[in-house]
Amino acid sequence: MGLFSESVGVICTDTGHPREVQWKGTRYTVTNEPVRWYERRQWWLEESRAPLGSGAGLVDHEIWRVQLLPTSADAETSHPITLDLVRHVGSGRWRLLRIHDAAPARAVEPEEAA
Amino acid sequence: MSFTHLHVSTAFSAHYGVSWPEELAKTAAAGGATALACTDRDGLYGTIKHLKACMDAGIDPIVGVDLAVFDDDGDHRTQVAGRVVVLAHGNNNGAGYRALCRLISDAHARTSGKAGGAIPAAVTRGELASRTLDPKTLKPVLTVLIGPDSDVGQAMGGRKYLRPRTLFKQWIDAMPPGTMVAEVVSHLSAPGEPLSTAHAVRMLKLALEYNIPAILSNAVRYCAQDGAATADVLDSARTLKSLPELSTAPLLQPTGTLQPTGQGWLKTPHQMLQLSKEIMNAAGLGKADLTKLLTNTEALADKCRIDPVLDMGWKKPVVPEASIIGIDADPMIELTQRCEAGINRRFPGIKGDAGEHLRTRLEHELGIIGRLGFASYFLTVAEVSRMILDMGVRVAARGSGASSLVNYLIDISQVDPIRHDLIFERFLSGRRSTLPDIDIDVESAERHTVYRKIFDRFGAERVTLMSMQNGYRARGAVRDAGMALGMPDEEVGEIAKQLWRFSARKFREALVEKPELRDFAGRVERGAMEENQQLDLLVDLTERLDRLPRHISMHPCGVILGDATLLDRTPVQPSGLGLPMSQFDKHDMDPMGMLKLDVLGVRMQSAMAFAVREVIRLHPSKAEVVAAGRHPVEPGGAGPDYIAPDGRIDLNAVPFDDEPTYELIRSTHTLGCFQIESPGQRELIGKMAPREFNDLIIDISLFRPGPMKSDMVRPFLEHRHGFAPEIYPHQDLKPVLEETHGVTVFHEQILKTFHVMTNCGLDRADEFRRALGDEVREPGVEKYFRKEAIKNYSPEVVDKVWGTLKAFGSFGFCKAHGAAFAVPTYQSAWLKAHHPEAFLAGLWEHDPGMYPKRLLVAEARRLGIPILPLDINRSQAEYRVEKIQQGPDQGKLGIRLSLTGIYGLSGAELKRIVAGQPYDSLADLRARARVSKPNIKRLAQLGAFDALHKDSGGKANRADLVHHLQALQSSPSKKAADVIDGQLSFALGDIELRNLAPELPEPSMVDNVRAELDLMAVDVSEHLMDSHRPLLDKLGVTTADKLLGLRNGTEVLVAGVRIATQTPPMRGGRRVVFISIDDGTGCVDSVFFHEAQQESGPLLFGTRLLLIRGTTRRTGPKGISLSASKAWDLSRPEALPYAELLPAEVGLPEGYTHHGPLHGISRNLAITGLGS
Repeated sequence: MGLFSESVGVICTDTGHPREVQWKGTRYTVTNEPVRWYERRQWWLEESRAPLGSGAGLVDHEIWRVQLLPTSADAETSHPITLDLVRHVGSGRWRLLRIHDAAPARAVEPEEAA
Repeated sequence: MSFTHLHVSTAFSAHYGVSWPEELAKTAAAGGATALACTDRDGLYGTIKHLKACMDAGIDPIVGVDLAVFDDDGDHRTQVAGRVVVLAHGNNNGAGYRALCRLISDAHARTSGKAGGAIPAAVTRGELASRTLDPKTLKPVLTVLIGPDSDVGQAMGGRKYLRPRTLFKQWIDAMPPGTMVAEVVSHLSAPGEPLSTAHAVRMLKLALEYNIPAILSNAVRYCAQDGAATADVLDSARTLKSLPELSTAPLLQPTGTLQPTGQGWLKTPHQMLQLSKEIMNAAGLGKADLTKLLTNTEALADKCRIDPVLDMGWKKPVVPEASIIGIDADPMIELTQRCEAGINRRFPGIKGDAGEHLRTRLEHELGIIGRLGFASYFLTVAEVSRMILDMGVRVAARGSGASSLVNYLIDISQVDPIRHDLIFERFLSGRRSTLPDIDIDVESAERHTVYRKIFDRFGAERVTLMSMQNGYRARGAVRDAGMALGMPDEEVGEIAKQLWRFSARKFREALVEKPELRDFAGRVERGAMEENQQLDLLVDLTERLDRLPRHISMHPCGVILGDATLLDRTPVQPSGLGLPMSQFDKHDMDPMGMLKLDVLGVRMQSAMAFAVREVIRLHPSKAEVVAAGRHPVEPGGAGPDYIAPDGRIDLNAVPFDDEPTYELIRSTHTLGCFQIESPGQRELIGKMAPREFNDLIIDISLFRPGPMKSDMVRPFLEHRHGFAPEIYPHQDLKPVLEETHGVTVFHEQILKTFHVMTNCGLDRADEFRRALGDEVREPGVEKYFRKEAIKNYSPEVVDKVWGTLKAFGSFGFCKAHGAAFAVPTYQSAWLKAHHPEAFLAGLWEHDPGMYPKRLLVAEARRLGIPILPLDINRSQAEYRVEKIQQGPDQGKLGIRLSLTGIYGLSGAELKRIVAGQPYDSLADLRARARVSKPNIKRLAQLGAFDALHKDSGGKANRADLVHHLQALQSSPSKKAADVIDGQLSFALGDIELRNLAPELPEPSMVDNVRAELDLMAVDVSEHLMDSHRPLLDKLGVTTADKLLGLRNGTEVLVAGVRIATQTPPMRGGRRVVFISIDDGTGCVDSVFFHEAQQESGPLLFGTRLLLIRGTTRRTGPKGISLSASKAWDLSRPEALPYAELLPAEVGLPEGYTHHGPLHGISRNLAITGLGS
């Protein structure tokens, strides 16, 4: 498992759940019911301003844990991969936060995730 | 779908909640809610505001509290096990609200009322359980919410599955049936963390398992997402830990931790539905359970909807039972009888037209009081007033209460409203249903005794003190914001020092505008470029904290009086004074129908009482007092009636026509006089030259922000002095405006203007006046006025008068206030004119004014009153006037310094010293008064042993003695030989002092004055500026006493020590800074306009000694001030720009490195007028 921060493309369902993910030139389909939560940010280090009315997304960001399989037909044999994606609440942009081992995704306790 | 938020903290949850009740109620209503709860932490601090906000927003209020619960298994006094929310059931005639009030009072009963007390506000589970049932009906009246902050919720971390269940079962066992629900909350934090959906699921399942209803809440702390960052800063302020600290070791923080996410906002019904779906999904439950959760929530909400009137007595006035003030008859009859008795006392022998007038007025007032049913209110206040008088404490009514003849007749007020033409309707009318305010001034030193007496008199169940909310202002906000960011204390402290009276919300704006922040603004800008954005963030976070409540404290004067049900209507908690204090503040009084008496401690009243006692002590007969005070004696008479045969002066009986008093006032040497000592007031009385009591009333009323800001003063003065003809908009208004020469000054004149021109009646006129300046109501008033007035007056007159009303109405001054204030003003000036020594001693003792005490000592020096040094055998615990027995001042009255206020000397030491006087030696002092070594040394430094030393015949000086004592201080103390009781010690004189070897040079005057300033904050031996004089003379500095002789517009240099700094609101909004300095010959009042502020920058607010260049501005026959162009710091004389100040050929003056007595003293800010 590693920590990254690279941009990914995400297509969502009507209810706002990720459906497809574009990562490193490959299209993936989300194969499970994704798990969503929020994590706090160290905004006092990461931000230069915090004026009143900054709106959402200063204190926390939205995390989605998705299990993915390549969308293309010839990839049937490949193992599913599990990614933690972070959506910036303010801008709506998606970035990759963590790549988990190929083992089946399971909600990990925060100690492990940290 | 509707959703009701049942767990909401408002900003009144100090250091926790972020949003104001109004925002929350508006947002909830906009989202379609029909009710909203307010559950502040530890009390009902925001509840009444919440009630009003809900009523305005058209939704039902729900009231409750978020309370800590003591751990049943831990130490019952200190260990808490989580927090629960308790909601009051409504529509049960207040049974729920009553139980809630009592429960909260229970929670505070054991706390100390002092900051940092060891015992938290919390209830035991037993108390909680017993309060949930109504004692009469035994029906549930409270519901307890067991949520994520409860011991159950807190036990859900980790994998201990049994623990939360055990704790939950304990709650079920302890609580009566139907009084408990499980509160399901998810802030969508990471799985397994507190406030995660996983925890919410576990709480829900526990509830299902035990068949306890579960409800959904969002544990709201802020109205919208934006508030989350503010909540972080508040968490830091509450726990006294920086954000980096709080976030790195969350598990090591016993005081709490940061919120795991920023999701605690007032989510919309739709978002709450989504959230509950998510929880159900994670729980593997279906639609039925989801519906059940939401239905339970709404059912509880319905049960808790509060009827403000029936449940909480909204706006229903409650006063003490008549029986408690000893009245069996109809209170109205009693009041009428007392007024009758008052007529004979206040107006002996009145008859004819005057008598008729008096009767009509009295009937009018009594009629209104009777119709409102307020007779027992007046009797209650009269009872308090009489009780205070009987204690021998000076008491005076202040404020609009002085408008009432009834108040005058029953001795609540000392101002005759008929003589001063005061209007009753300004105080009370048939069109107001709220209790009027009567403010009572008492001697400050007796205030707490008076409070205790009121509690005794009315019973602790009927009385409580009022509280006040203390909100963040700029300095506190920047300190806490800095701490949150983990900035060093000193750095933040330096920044805080420069913040001068502006709202924290305007910090960024201020950075651009204010010259004293120039350095800091530069650092913010550079920081941003160097990618150190901490200062930028500091500014943002400071703005976020602006105005948020920090804590409540005892209001300086409010006492709430009620009937035996008072404590059912307000929760109370101990105040710092020990007496119980309501959780409600002044804004909550009218809504809750509470009778609040303002019993204000006024230091001036104490100072005057002290002066009167000193006069009688020194002059114990009428003849002596008359001689000493040069009081008028009619031929063959013995002097005025207000001086009793034993010399006691009845200040309240002194007539208001004493010419020496007005002379003193006109001289502008009014330092120490009530209300007229400030620089601005001295300027105004210099211009106005008051001749009679009504002039004082006008003067005090004019010197208010409104009139000053709207330039009413100049036209008034021009008309008064006949420079310009008086102008009246219409002849009909001449009787109304004549006393102020055509300028509208008083509220009373506004009322009469309305009445004269529209015949609306004075009671409606007062309503119109209150509506002026109110965006919503003013247009209606204007419409009415124009419609009615045009019937009798020309359009020009109507236009002009409306313009005046609109402009002045909202901030004119109530003449009754002015009249009530003018009484102590006159009395203090009278004392200063006739008994200056006793008066100044009173001022030193009680320190009533705006200036540092050292200025009043300087004033004594200016008046030629000898200041007698500290003396171990003569100084008392109070300042004393003494007749000087020998020396050049023989026969004069001097003021002896007191032993109080010496740095380091404890109250107990002081008492022992005074009890043991006189002492014949240091050894005697050590043995009997047991004064510590450092304090003996301090007393020596202040010269307290000089007389003893001289008497001993020793040859050494004060420096030798101090040196000797210093040496003793570092040697181990020997046990002093005990004097056996009953054995007389031989008076041997002081061998220790006699044998002291003279070795050191005599301490210089500067050394002595420095010691005085350092240890007493007062320069006694000479004025602290005196040693600077040689240098100042070389620079050509003008002294204060010479300024008056200069022409208007002369450029001068002045120098002195700062005594006052003011930044009053000004027309046009541009800030003007007034700095007053004292140079030993008097005060120089200087004004810094925009450019001079730019020139002087950080010197404006940070320096104690100032050298100022400016031009003179003549303000009246006795008044002159300075328009400053630039200032320098005189405490760094070596850095003065001598090239600029002196002619070119002159070299550096001798003594340019001289540092005066203030040099090196950092301890005591009370020396100068900094920072007030």
